[in-house]
Amino acid sequence: MSLTSTGPAAPSSRHVPFRKVLIANRGEIACRIIRTLREMGIAAVAVHHAVEARAQHVRLADEAVELKGDTPVAAHLDVRQIVAAALATGADAIHPGYGFLSENAGFARAVAEAGLVFVGPDAASIALMGDKISARNFADQHGVPVAPSVMPTADLADFVRRAEAIGFPLLIKAAAGGGGKGMSIVRSADELEGAARIASSEAQRYFGDGRVYAELFVERPRHIEVQVFGDGEGGAIHLFERECSVQRRFQKIIEEAPAANLPGALRDEICASAVRLAAAARYRNAGTVEYILGADGRFFFLEMNTRLQVEHPVTEMITGLDLVRLQLEIAAGHGLPFGQDAVVARGHAVECRICAENPERDFLPETGTIQHLAVPEASYLRFENALDRGQKVTADFDPMLAKLVAHGADRTAAIDRSIAALGDLALFGVTTNTDYLARVLDHPAFRAGDLHTGFVVEHRDALAAREPETGRLHAALIAAALGLREFRSLVLDVPEPHASIGAWRN
Amino acid sequence: MRRIESSINTASAEFRRNEAHNRRLVAEFREKQEAARHLRPPRDLDRLARQKKLTPRQRIEKLLDPGTPFLELSSLAANMAYGGEAPSASSIVGIGIVSGREVVVRADDPTVKGGAWYPLTAKKIVRALDIAMENRLPVVHLCDSAGGFLQLQSQVFPDRYMAGRIFRNQSLLSKMGVKQLSLVFGHCTAGGAYIPGLSDYSVIVRGTGAVFLGGPPLVKAATGEDVSVEDLGGAEMHTSVSGTCDYPADSEEHAIAIGREIVSQWDRSERWALQREAPEDPFYDPQDIYGIVPDDIKKAFDMREIIARMVDGSRFHEYQPNYGTTLVCGYANIWGYKVGILANNGVLFNDSSLKGAHFIELCNQNNTPLVFLQNITGYMVGREYERRGITKDGAKMIMAQSCSRVPKFTVMCNGSFGAGNYGMCGRAFDGRFLFAWPNHQIGVMGGDQAANTLAEVKANQMKRAGGTVDQAAVDQVWEETRKAYQEQLSAYYSTSELWDDGIIDPVDTRNALAVALSASLNAPLGPPGYGVFRF
Amino acid sequence: MTFKIMIDGQVHGVAILARRPHLIVEIGGHRYRVEDLCDGRSGPQSLRIDGQPVAFTRAPGAGGGVDVRLDGRTYEARPFDPAAEAAASGAGSDRVRAPMPGAVVVVHKQAGDAVRRGEAIITIESMKLQMALAAPRDGLLAEVAVREGDVFDKDAVLARLQPAAEER
Repeated sequence: MSLTSTGPAAPSSRHVPFRKVLIANRGEIACRIIRTLREMGIAAVAVHHAVEARAQHVRLADEAVELKGDTPVAAHLDVRQIVAAALATGADAIHPGYGFLSENAGFARAVAEAGLVFVGPDAASIALMGDKISARNFADQHGVPVAPSVMPTADLADFVRRAEAIGFPLLIKAAAGGGGKGMSIVRSADELEGAARIASSEAQRYFGDGRVYAELFVERPRHIEVQVFGDGEGGAIHLFERECSVQRRFQKIIEEAPAANLPGALRDEICASAVRLAAAARYRNAGTVEYILGADGRFFFLEMNTRLQVEHPVTEMITGLDLVRLQLEIAAGHGLPFGQDAVVARGHAVECRICAENPERDFLPETGTIQHLAVPEASYLRFENALDRGQKVTADFDPMLAKLVAHGADRTAAIDRSIAALGDLALFGVTTNTDYLARVLDHPAFRAGDLHTGFVVEHRDALAAREPETGRLHAALIAAALGLREFRSLVLDVPEPHASIGAWRN
Repeated sequence: MRRIESSINTASAEFRRNEAHNRRLVAEFREKQEAARHLRPPRDLDRLARQKKLTPRQRIEKLLDPGTPFLELSSLAANMAYGGEAPSASSIVGIGIVSGREVVVRADDPTVKGGAWYPLTAKKIVRALDIAMENRLPVVHLCDSAGGFLQLQSQVFPDRYMAGRIFRNQSLLSKMGVKQLSLVFGHCTAGGAYIPGLSDYSVIVRGTGAVFLGGPPLVKAATGEDVSVEDLGGAEMHTSVSGTCDYPADSEEHAIAIGREIVSQWDRSERWALQREAPEDPFYDPQDIYGIVPDDIKKAFDMREIIARMVDGSRFHEYQPNYGTTLVCGYANIWGYKVGILANNGVLFNDSSLKGAHFIELCNQNNTPLVFLQNITGYMVGREYERRGITKDGAKMIMAQSCSRVPKFTVMCNGSFGAGNYGMCGRAFDGRFLFAWPNHQIGVMGGDQAANTLAEVKANQMKRAGGTVDQAAVDQVWEETRKAYQEQLSAYYSTSELWDDGIIDPVDTRNALAVALSASLNAPLGPPGYGVFRF
Repeated sequence: MTFKIMIDGQVHGVAILARRPHLIVEIGGHRYRVEDLCDGRSGPQSLRIDGQPVAFTRAPGAGGGVDVRLDGRTYEARPFDPAAEAAASGAGSDRVRAPMPGAVVVVHKQAGDAVRRGEAIITIESMKLQMALAAPRDGLLAEVAVREGDVFDKDAVLARLQPAAEER
């Protein structure tokens, strides 16, 4: 999809003084970044391990540098080699993508010390947000809500009093514990003291430490995050929120923008708090502030990701902006290209992460060889990938193979288009979650926007693969048979008049 | 080509009567056929099941391409021999499609005395291989036979057309480049061992397949050696040590799959280009044949009505429609293939004989296969006809027919009596295929005529001997002769003795001829020319 | 014969009932008229089943099969031939014979071990060439007749599987 239509007018004309940028990443994100670099007339340098020497990001880049490493992942985490590669190729800047070194303060620092531009925040911001406790405290200090909790205590009466102040439901657990021992959910004040007493005695019995801890229990939490950009001088804007509530094994599989059924006032409140945080941190470049949103409308700061997110395309789809271009412009020192008012959301976008995994076997990663790839194409679709026919899918890298992003006038349209596109996507040779994703999108609860991070578990049975309908299975058998040489020969090579006479017996 | 205008009234009492009669005959035929195919002593079927073997007919079904025809030949061979204990002469023969190629399939039947070869088994196998040679059709043998039926060895073993001929034909087939494949499912003992031995390719099933000249009991008796079937001639030994067989198979299905793959490697033989149109179903219902063929062999009927229910679109280009009218000649198409049809509409006269000879020459000239539809009581007899040279005119027809270079096919639609059988390409004239309908009768003369003739002879003897005629004795001769004739004249006796390639339901004639025609195209046309015609 | 295809471990017969004027196939008791047979190539294809257009994507898959994507579902279809059937049912030779004279280098399996078809039982050396002798089928080893260092002649039986019948 070309990202030209609805975005604010100014940015595309601004000159970015980079001639060459090294991408410290691989796979679909490296390819996606190269695409923008190309549009901007900037040369791209790829890095790769020997096992991926012919990978698509290497072929797409203007130059490539091989990184040595015991494992491919180790190679991509090697700060010294990557900085050396950038210097050797004469790159002006390094874009870290997501994952790997993208949130490594040491890397950002090393890049800067080498006299190169790190396309992202400064090392201090990364460090601040990279530490959960410092990030939480920082958020709390700047009026960004954090989940209330009562710190470990042995004084039960004091504990009960302070816990009551938080409100319900509350999760009570042993301060020293784990494994669910002494853990309980308390829904009213009446139960609180008893539960705390039991938890404490169990904690004492199991761990020899009777201290208990309480925090607000957010039931059916939603994962809402806000895309922000900061200029590093205290200026910040948001590009609206994304919802990433559908997760499996604590990882997102479906993201959308905007969030489903989010009241306007609440959205404004959440987005404003994210901008507040970014501004307070004098944050530079792209970042994402993640929140937990309860059914009661209360939301709490979770963490801030100081990089481009996997799911950034849904934001691009609704805003018409190219986030990588924005990153490069800000990294070039241009500041924010436009004000908040210029950012307008249009329609709805859904992203599905196509992963090499088996949803029927608890989403365990699958391996194989890409035998065939047929991708649906439409102006409202993006299929972000770096797949090649014959490419081995191994356990070396993340099981995410590609992202399918669909835009629609409204949420239903985006969902319908996503389901249709998933149906048309043919990725053979490795088991994927493609059909599972389509079942999630088509589930009435998903369509209703009744989302929470336990969605996959809650609807496990309804989302399980059904036996194919007989007629479809038979159609597939016919289609398969006619693709097999032996069967085609059986059908087509019978001479006349026998073929016409057919199965006659005398 | 114009459509024949049928004058049959399917609502007439006569039609209904004929129909009931012929349907009864066909039902009787189907019943006999069903029994020959499937009725076996339970112990034989149990033994097969214990050995995890398929029946020969199951093997054939698994071998053939799905959804293709199988023309079984001589399904009722030996039905009146050996007290009926060798159904289908313990061997199944037919023409079918394997891996897209026309082949002769020949299967031993282990449910009949362990697949033993009776005299008529040998005759049937020799005929199958003759068909393969004449039509250049590859052969797939499904072997599972205990060997010659020793009680009848004198009729199985020594003579020219007995068992030895099988191996002679196998050798010549190979020389001609016509391929043979043996799938060894069971034992191939004694002579039977040469079937895989003389095949170009052979597959043998582990555990049940075995090939040896003498089985373990014979070896024990001959040399005192104790040896197991497996060691003596099992799959492992023959495919890894002796090289007698080529491929070991893990199961019968596996053997069949290997066999199909082998056949798929064979080159498709060049067929000669017989003119072929797009096929068209007959306009008139072939089932009408039941109501057209009379319920009494003495009653005449118009063979054009039969042709109309056999050929494409019921279209027929009749040759010399007004001359020699007791022989209907003309061109038609069967499943698209152009044929020249000669059909009897009464006794053969001088003009009909000359017309027949001329039409045969025309067909030879324009490469059109001949189809003879027999319903013949003979050439006309009597002073007048002899004076006109009925014998030499009949001889011309026999000469033209015998020397034909195009393939010939004969269908015994009703009676076949006397020399008419010769002119109309009887069994002796090496037609590629000869089929008979259940109502068919064949003999030098009819039962009544024979009984009359012999009763007359008996009475004359009595007169010469003593003067008085014992009418009871004469009647007895008449009855016995008629009974013996009736039995031997019947289609079941003919087919039992392999005087034909099988009885067929009349409505199957069109398909049977099409498969036969197609098969015949694999062999090049014979050399042109005739002997000396007597003018 | 009936063509058999395995999908998700299930074997389906695709019977050809007729070819003219249309292909008629039967699967699990259902008959279908198949027209516009497309060609055998990979990629997006379509054909008509009972008059209805059916669009799908097809490409060669593992094991000599094809993968078909139809109506948002991927089917990994594998032809199921009697060789596979035979292996699955435990048929096959019981014996492992020496293909040439030589000496035993390694004995990998012992009597009583369960072996899979193709799994090495013994490695031998002959004419300066080492080769692994594999199990001819799935089964239990009844006997390994040699030890490391033993020499043997061509065709010697080096190992034996329990006959399939005894295992049941």
